[in-house]
Amino acid sequence: MTNHWIDLKNSDTILIMGSNAAENHPISFKWVTKAQENGATVIHVDPRFTRTSTKADMHATLRSGTDISILGGMIKYILDNDLIFKEYVVNYTNASFIVGDDYTFEDGIFAGFDSKNKTYDKSKWAFAMDAKGNPKKDPTLKDPKCVYQMLKKHYERYTLDKIVEISGMKKADLIKLYETYAATGKSDKAGTIMYAMGWTQHTVGVQNIRSMAMIQLLLGNIGIAGGGVNALRGESNVQGSTDHCLLYHILPGYLKTPKATQQSLAAYDKVYTPISNDPKSANWWANYPKYSASLLKAMWRDQDPKDSFNYLPKLDSGSAADYSWLTLFDKMDEGQFKGLFAWGMNPACSGANSNKTRSAMTKLDWMVNVNIFPNETGWFWEGPGMDPSKIKTEVFFLPCAVSIEKEGSITNSGRWMQWRYKGPDAPNGLKPDGDLIYELMHEIQELYKKEGGAYPDPITKLSWDGIATNGVFDPHKTAKLINGFFTKDTEVKGKKFKKGDQIPSFAYLQTDGSTCSGNWLYCNSYTAKGNMAARRSLAQTEEQANIGLFPNFSWCWPVNRRILYNRASVDLKGNPWNPKKAVIKWTGPKTKWQGDIPDGGWAPGDKYAFIMRKHGFGQLFGPGRADGPFPEHYEPLECPVKSHPFSSTLHNPVALAFNDEAKAVCNPKFPLVGTTYRVAEHWQTGLMTRNCDWLTEAEPQIFVEMSTELAELRGIKNGEKVTVSSVRGTLWAVAIVTKRLKPFTIQGTVVHQVGLPWHFGWTWPKDGGDSANILTPSAGDPNTGIPETKAFMVNVSKA
Amino acid sequence: MHTNRRNFLKLSATAAVATAFGGLGLGCTSKEAIAGRADAMDPKWSKQTTSVCCYCAVGCGLIVNTSLKDNRAINVEGDPDHPINEGALCAKGASIWQLAENDRRPDSVLYRAPYSSKFKKVSLSWALEKIAHNVKKTRDEAFTVVNKKGQKVNRCDNIASLGSAALDNEECWAFQTMLRSLGLVYIEHQARI
Amino acid sequence: MSKTFFIDLTKCTACRGCQVACKQWKKLPAEKTENWGSHQNPKDLSGITLKLVRFNEVEEDGKIQWLFFPEQCRHCVEPPCLDAMTVPGSIVHDKETGAVVYTDLTAKEKDKEAFQASCPYDIPRINTETGMVVKCDMCIDRVKAGMLPACVATCPTGAMNFGDRDEMLALAEKSLTKAQKKYPNAELIDAESVRVVYLVQTDADSYYQFLSADASTIKKGPMTRKQFLAKLGNPIKHMTS
Repeated sequence: MTNHWIDLKNSDTILIMGSNAAENHPISFKWVTKAQENGATVIHVDPRFTRTSTKADMHATLRSGTDISILGGMIKYILDNDLIFKEYVVNYTNASFIVGDDYTFEDGIFAGFDSKNKTYDKSKWAFAMDAKGNPKKDPTLKDPKCVYQMLKKHYERYTLDKIVEISGMKKADLIKLYETYAATGKSDKAGTIMYAMGWTQHTVGVQNIRSMAMIQLLLGNIGIAGGGVNALRGESNVQGSTDHCLLYHILPGYLKTPKATQQSLAAYDKVYTPISNDPKSANWWANYPKYSASLLKAMWRDQDPKDSFNYLPKLDSGSAADYSWLTLFDKMDEGQFKGLFAWGMNPACSGANSNKTRSAMTKLDWMVNVNIFPNETGWFWEGPGMDPSKIKTEVFFLPCAVSIEKEGSITNSGRWMQWRYKGPDAPNGLKPDGDLIYELMHEIQELYKKEGGAYPDPITKLSWDGIATNGVFDPHKTAKLINGFFTKDTEVKGKKFKKGDQIPSFAYLQTDGSTCSGNWLYCNSYTAKGNMAARRSLAQTEEQANIGLFPNFSWCWPVNRRILYNRASVDLKGNPWNPKKAVIKWTGPKTKWQGDIPDGGWAPGDKYAFIMRKHGFGQLFGPGRADGPFPEHYEPLECPVKSHPFSSTLHNPVALAFNDEAKAVCNPKFPLVGTTYRVAEHWQTGLMTRNCDWLTEAEPQIFVEMSTELAELRGIKNGEKVTVSSVRGTLWAVAIVTKRLKPFTIQGTVVHQVGLPWHFGWTWPKDGGDSANILTPSAGDPNTGIPETKAFMVNVSKA
Repeated sequence: MHTNRRNFLKLSATAAVATAFGGLGLGCTSKEAIAGRADAMDPKWSKQTTSVCCYCAVGCGLIVNTSLKDNRAINVEGDPDHPINEGALCAKGASIWQLAENDRRPDSVLYRAPYSSKFKKVSLSWALEKIAHNVKKTRDEAFTVVNKKGQKVNRCDNIASLGSAALDNEECWAFQTMLRSLGLVYIEHQARI
Repeated sequence: MSKTFFIDLTKCTACRGCQVACKQWKKLPAEKTENWGSHQNPKDLSGITLKLVRFNEVEEDGKIQWLFFPEQCRHCVEPPCLDAMTVPGSIVHDKETGAVVYTDLTAKEKDKEAFQASCPYDIPRINTETGMVVKCDMCIDRVKAGMLPACVATCPTGAMNFGDRDEMLALAEKSLTKAQKKYPNAELIDAESVRVVYLVQTDADSYYQFLSADASTIKKGPMTRKQFLAKLGNPIKHMTS
C-alpha cells in the first residue's frame, strides 16, 4: 500500500476491484465504513456479489480477466472528457515526455517483439532525449509524440460498446463507474483503489495494476490522504518477507540479485545505479552502492564488501520464466532439484496446478517441511494417487511455535513494522522458526568448517553469530542488524559515531564497509532511541490526527513515512492540494515541512515529486515492464472467446507458459469460466484454519458457487456434491447455487462463471475436499511469474 | 406493521412479569461463579502481552492472556488500544487461541525414510544433523561454479526453497541469509503466488 | 443503569468475528458441520452455539440483497421465558444490567423444551452433555468486570454496540434516521421490549423468521408462544399454524 489502513477513511470514492475486502481483509471494513459514514461512495467491481458488495453503494460485474478493458475504457473516458487533474499531470507525471521514434503499437503488439523467444526488446520504448541526456518534454501536452497524446491514441479503441461486449459489464454500470470514479480528479477529492489477488493472478497481472496506477496519476490521487494504489497484501508478513526478499530476483531492500555478467561489486552497482542529468531529480536509487555494501557487510562482517560480493550466487538472467515459482516446479518435475525447503508454506495446495506440483515432489531426494500442522506438502507421499513404496523422498517435518509463542516483528500491508511479544510457551518445547533456522545453519557451518567442501567461504565466513546471543537466535539482535550499525568509528554528515552505534537512518549508510545494514529500507527502525516498531504511543499533532497518521505507533518504512509519494500531495509551493486533508505542508525555510515525514526534506519545487524514479516523474508511460509500456487487454490463456475487440492478438504474447501444457480456449469440454478465491473464515491453503475447529465449523467443505441459471442447465441442486474439472484435474465440491452469480453475455453469447475457494486439502478435515488449485493452470504474468489462477476454464457436472 | 407488535410485546412482557417473575430473588448463581472467566484476566492470575494477528496483513493488534500457572494461553482477543483494529477481530483473528491450544499440533520432529509408509518421531538434534549432511552432500556434488557461458556464478542449482510470509521479519532476514550463503537461487515464497 | 445491545445490520459484513469470539471467550466446542448449500454454519443455534450469523439472499426487481443476521438472545425487558421456569433460580434476571442468565439449575428443569417454546425469538437450546438450557448470557462476567461482551468487542464495523440502555436507544434512533436515507424500509425491531435491538434494512422476515417476535410455532410448554401471545388479544404475525 502506498497509504495505510486507517487512511481509507479519508477517501471520497473507494473502488474495490480485484479484491473482496470485507471477506479477506475484514477489519479494513472498519475504515471503509468510516469513509462511508463521512459520505464516501464505495464501488465494488467483481464477477460475484460478495459480502463486500452487500456494503457497497454500487456493485458491477465483469467476466474474470477483463479488467484492463474496463480500466482502459476509464482512461479513455477521463481523457475524452478532460477530467484529468492537469496541474498534477503536467508537473508530476511523464505525460509531457516525448516518446522515441522506435516506439510503435500495431494490432496488440508493441515495438521490439521477438516472436521466437517471446520477449520484447524494451530499448524500442525509450524516451527521446535532449542534448543533456534528459527526456524531451512538451508541458503543453500537444506534441503528438508526447505520452499524453500517445495515451489518448492507445485507448481510443476502448469504446463503451466494445468493453461491454467483452467484459459482460452492463453499459449503464460502466458509465456510472466512470462518472463516479473520474469525479475524484478534483483537487479536493480523493479516490482510492483496494486490490488484491483478483488483479495480480493473471497473465496481465502487472498491467492490471499499472492501468489503475495510471488512472490514479491522471486524477492526481497518488500521494494524497485517501488516495494511493493500495495492494491489500495477504499474509501477515508478506510485506516484510517481500522487503527481505525471499524471492529469486531481489535481495533485502529490493536490491537486485546479481547476474552472471556482473563479476564485481563495481560492475553490479554500475548496472543498478541510475544516473539522471537533471539536478531536480532526486533519483534516490543513486544511493544503491551504499545499500549493497551495507548488506554485504551485515552478512559477512569481517570481509571487504568487494570480496564478499563474490559470495553471492549469480543468476543467468532476471527473467521470471527462468527462476520463478512455476518454472521452479517445472524444473522440479524434470528432476533438477534433489532438496527442497518448504518452510512455512504448503505448496502442494497453494501453487497453481496442484497435480503437477505434487508429482514434482516425488522427484526430490529430500524435503524439509517446517509448519504448525500436518499438511499436504510434508505428507505428499501418502496423498491421493501416491504409492509411498515407490516414493524415494526423505521428509523431515519440523513443527514450530505459533506467532503468539515467540517474539519478533511483522510488517503489515500499510508498511507498519509491528513488534510482537511472546505470550505462552510453545507446547512440548517446540521452537520458533528463527531458532530452527539458526540451529540448522550453525550445524551446516560447523560441518563445512570441519570438512570443507564446494566453495565453503560464503558459509564458513558468514557472520552467523550476528543474529544470536549465547548460541540462541535473538530477534532483537537480528532487528538491530537489519537496521544496521557502524562497523568502526566514523564521522558522517558532521556527526561522530562509535563502532557499534546503531545507524540513525539510511541517509548515513556508506559504501566503504564502515556501515552494515541488513536492509536499508528498515534502517531507522531500531536506533539509539530503541526498538521503534514496539512503540505504542497514540500521540500526534492536530494535522496528523486529522488524517489518522499515528506516527508514534509502531514504525513504518521508509523512515516512518506513512503516505508514500507525499510530495505529490502539494503544489510546487508546498501547499496541499486539499488543505482539509493535508498530508504535508511547507511552512517556510526554518520550520520546513509539517505533517507526515516528507519524501525528502528539500524545499517544495526543488526536487521532482517521484523521488524513486530516475527522472522524478510518475510513469504514465512505463517502459520498464516486460509486456509493454501501456496496458493492453489480452484474454487469459484459457478463455471462452476466439477473439476480442481490441486487436487480433488474443493472449499476452509474452505470458509465461509451458508449451507442452494444453490450454482450453473455446473448448466445448470446458465451457465455464472458473476462478478461485478465499473466504473470511479460512486462510490461504487452509492449513492453519482447517485445523481450528471453530473456523472449520463455519466453512467445513470445499464449495463451488454457481448461478441458478447454470444449476438449472446442469440439473444441479443447491447443496449437492458436484464434480468440477479442468484440463488439468478434477475434484468434488458442494454446489452453492446462488443469485449472487449471474451469467454474462459475452459477444452475444451466454457465458457462465463459477468459483471455488482454495482453502481445502485432503489431510484435514477428512471430508473437506481438496485444493481448488488442482484446476488452475501453470501460466503466469511475464513480469512477476504470478500464476493465472483467477481466470481459467472448467466444467461442472453432477457427481 | 411493527408498531402494533411492539406495543403488543410491551404488553405481553408486562403481563409476564406479573404472572411469573413475582417473588423470584436474584443471586441464585454466586457472583464468583459469574465472574470466574473475567477474573482470570487479572494480572494476579495471568500475564498480558500484545501481539499482532498472524493471518492477513491488516495487522490487527491482539491482547494475549497467558496463565501464570502453566504458561499456556487462556484468552486472545483484539487490542482495544490498537489504532487499526480498535479491539476488533474477524473470525480468524478471534480464533487464534485455538491455533495455539490445539491437539493436532505434532509434539515432535517427524522423519519419513525413503519408501516408508509412515513418519517416525525423532529428536530435533538428530534431524538437524541429518538435514545438514543432506544439504552439504547435495550442494557439494553439483555446485555450479561457472555457467554454460563460462561466467563465474557460484551457485547451488539443485536445492530450492519456498517460504515464508509466515515468518517474522528477523526470521525472514536470517532465512534469506542462510539460503544465499549456501548459494541458492531458486528462492520463492507466498509473494509470488 | 441497565444495558442494551444495538445491532445495526446495515453495517454487518458477516465476518463472523462475533460467532467465533463467543466460542473463544466461553471455550465452547465446535460442531461437526457440512456445507448445506449456504455459507451459514452451523445451521442453527444449539447447546454449544449461542451466537450464530444467519445468511439469507433475497432478490427483488433484479436487485440482490444478501442479508446477515447475527442472532442471539434478546434479553427481553420482561422475559417471557421466566414463564417456563419451575426450578427457582434456573433463570436469573440481573437487576443491574437487565441480563437474562440461565444457570446450571436449568439442568434440573423437567420440561426443558418449554424454554425454547416460550421464547418469541426461538432462542434457548439444550446442551445435551450438561443437560442445561443455554443461551447468550450477555457475557455477564465480562460486563460485571467492565468489559464489553466478546461479540461486541470484536465487531469491526460498528454493527454490534453495547452500553447503557438510554444511550443505545438514542444511538439506534440516530442510526435509523441515517439508514433510512439508503434503505427507506429500515426500522428498529421490538426496541421497547428487548435489550438486543436490531436495525434492519428491509423487512425482518427477509432475514429470518424469528428476527422479530413470532408466534407461529406451537411447541410444548407450560404456555406455548401462541397461547402466550394470543391470550393478550393483540395482532401478531404468523398465526397460521
